[in-house]
Amino acid sequence: MSTIDLLILASVVGSLVAILVFAVYYLTASKAESLSLTAKEEGYTDSNAYWREQLYGKPRPLTWSIFTYDDAKSIGLRYIFTSVVFLFIAGAFGVLMRVSLFDPNPVIIQPIIYNILMTQHATLMIYMFAIGAALGFGYYLLPTQLRLKRDNMGHWSSVAYWLWVLGGALFVLSRSSMRWYLYPPLSLQLTPTGAGTFNWLAIIAMELIFIGITMASIIVLKVIFIDRSDDITLSKMPIFAWSVVFTLIMLLSSDEPLMVGLGMLFYDFFNPVFFTGATSTPLTFAVLFWFWGHPIVYIAVIPYFGLMYDIITRFTKTPVYSYFSGVFSLGLLMILSELVWGHHLLNSGLGIDWVLFFTSASFVVVIPSALTIFNMIGTLWKAEKIRLTTPMMFVINAILDFIIGGVLGVMLANQSVNEVAHGTYFVTGHFHFIFVGLTLGVTMAVFYLLYPTFSNGRVYDERLAKWHLYITAFGSLLMSFSWTVGGYLGMPRSVAGYFAQFQPYQDSAIIGGVIIGIGQLVFLYNIAKSWLAQPTTDPYNILEYRTETNQEIGGGE
Amino acid sequence: MNSKVKNELIYTIVVLAILLVVAVINVNYIDGHKANIAQPENNSTVPANSTIIKVTGYQWAWSFTYTNGTTSTDYLYVTAGHTYTLQVQSKDVIHDLLIPNLGVQVYAVPGHPNQVTFEPTKQGTFIFECVEYCGQDHYLMRGYMEVS
Repeated sequence: MSTIDLLILASVVGSLVAILVFAVYYLTASKAESLSLTAKEEGYTDSNAYWREQLYGKPRPLTWSIFTYDDAKSIGLRYIFTSVVFLFIAGAFGVLMRVSLFDPNPVIIQPIIYNILMTQHATLMIYMFAIGAALGFGYYLLPTQLRLKRDNMGHWSSVAYWLWVLGGALFVLSRSSMRWYLYPPLSLQLTPTGAGTFNWLAIIAMELIFIGITMASIIVLKVIFIDRSDDITLSKMPIFAWSVVFTLIMLLSSDEPLMVGLGMLFYDFFNPVFFTGATSTPLTFAVLFWFWGHPIVYIAVIPYFGLMYDIITRFTKTPVYSYFSGVFSLGLLMILSELVWGHHLLNSGLGIDWVLFFTSASFVVVIPSALTIFNMIGTLWKAEKIRLTTPMMFVINAILDFIIGGVLGVMLANQSVNEVAHGTYFVTGHFHFIFVGLTLGVTMAVFYLLYPTFSNGRVYDERLAKWHLYITAFGSLLMSFSWTVGGYLGMPRSVAGYFAQFQPYQDSAIIGGVIIGIGQLVFLYNIAKSWLAQPTTDPYNILEYRTETNQEIGGGE
Repeated sequence: MNSKVKNELIYTIVVLAILLVVAVINVNYIDGHKANIAQPENNSTVPANSTIIKVTGYQWAWSFTYTNGTTSTDYLYVTAGHTYTLQVQSKDVIHDLLIPNLGVQVYAVPGHPNQVTFEPTKQGTFIFECVEYCGQDHYLMRGYMEVS
């Protein structure tokens, strides 16, 4: 495609996007305006809170109107449900990829399709599922946990949400096969065999996603610091609120390098001066990317740590073992994780001194993670009674999987292991232990916890929910463990075919991946079945509503 | 000192001690294997007894040029007990050469040649592969190393 054609296409798409965004904004804003007036007439305490009659009031039945209401609860629900939808899309892509690796040579799915699935799976899972669900739980839970004084940035949140969704949709449409790294010069090859013909659209989509999550982050930080009730001081905030603060500060302080980098990359389509010119190197982009790309993997974990603390305190009726060290270690994690991005590039010719720095820094970042896990174990230890409900078991499974994944991470931080395992399935196994066990598991735990509220008092089948956990946990263990072993023997990742000697590891990983998929189908069946039944209980949940017990233990010491 | 602070101190110190041991092992390894870590190409840091092999990665194959001027594609021929330095460059996009059995890994970056030194000890045939995604046939960018 010639440069002129590309420019024309880009400007047409840009204009269409702008028109669409404006239309969405106008429609939601005017609808919200009229609803605001209605609310005032009907005497709601908070003019934007249509979801509740008052802050701790009875929730209303879930309707499609959450997509037009602009109060924090509705925005949170939008984010939660959208991210679950993207979870299933990206998860289906993941299972397809697994199945296609049944044979060492690509016979079921052509490599070109495989590469698209791989790119979509990674990007959608990270930007649309992990960040989306974290923002959703933030928007949904924080207003009640912090007893919000006001809720007045709803229109902005709505715009941020729609930009984010638009970015995700455009990314799917772009059919990019560039992997989520977007390294030039490959990402500049706009051919089906390179980065995909429409990779430029993927870069626009990524920018839209970034603008969306940046806006949402600023608003959530404003909600936490400015709008929270006067009697909840910083030291009394639940750890979840703290974890959201740290996550969003990290997000805001490290996504600019990649936003700028993507802009430069887009310019390189027309005039390659920044990353592929005579005086530049593509590694410059790699550095910009990982300066964001490393913090992002913590962004997909830290808010879930906060939720784990909250769920543990609810089901053990015990305060957090050490509130101070819980908050402190999450804060330390935020600072240290900004210093270790180089360990993704150890073998790229950084030079010995930088290798020494980044490997040593990677050991330091383990300390706060370990303190967090010990703190959770301490809380469980001190509890007189642990109620093993489905959400609680998901959290315990998350702790186990995080320990395994974390130890594999410490191994990877050794240069001697990194030379063997970097770029192999060992790395994939390391982070899938954490992402499937912790990010997916805790999202499901919170979803189950909030389900009676979402569904106006319906009850999910506890037995099926437990099976969902067992199947997912077993599948995740089998898949990630096969990858780890195979990867240590040199099985490369992100390939559509492989040496026949790796077939046992791939095939057992396929079984694991399909089992995870079946587990999520059990979840869907469970939700669908109970949704069709009649409500049988009160639509309250212990995470959001303050009962007598969590009134005492919700905050700090 | 109450028991809670004591427990916190104990687990912090245990974690610190384990990490310190691993970190020292890592620093020792890096210090003792400076030539075996991928680094920018520089003929003055190639060990004196080492034979230079020029490696070029392109979409989607590896080619190796030996000191006598011969070239092989997707096959690397070396002798056991001898030291080699791979000087790796790329013609098009970023690649990453991995020989898993020897722990040799080096990026092939256009405009930024790297080098890495290794010494095969065992005879036999070993695999190598590209582990940085590089387009459609990335998975075919692999081959065998024959150690005689």
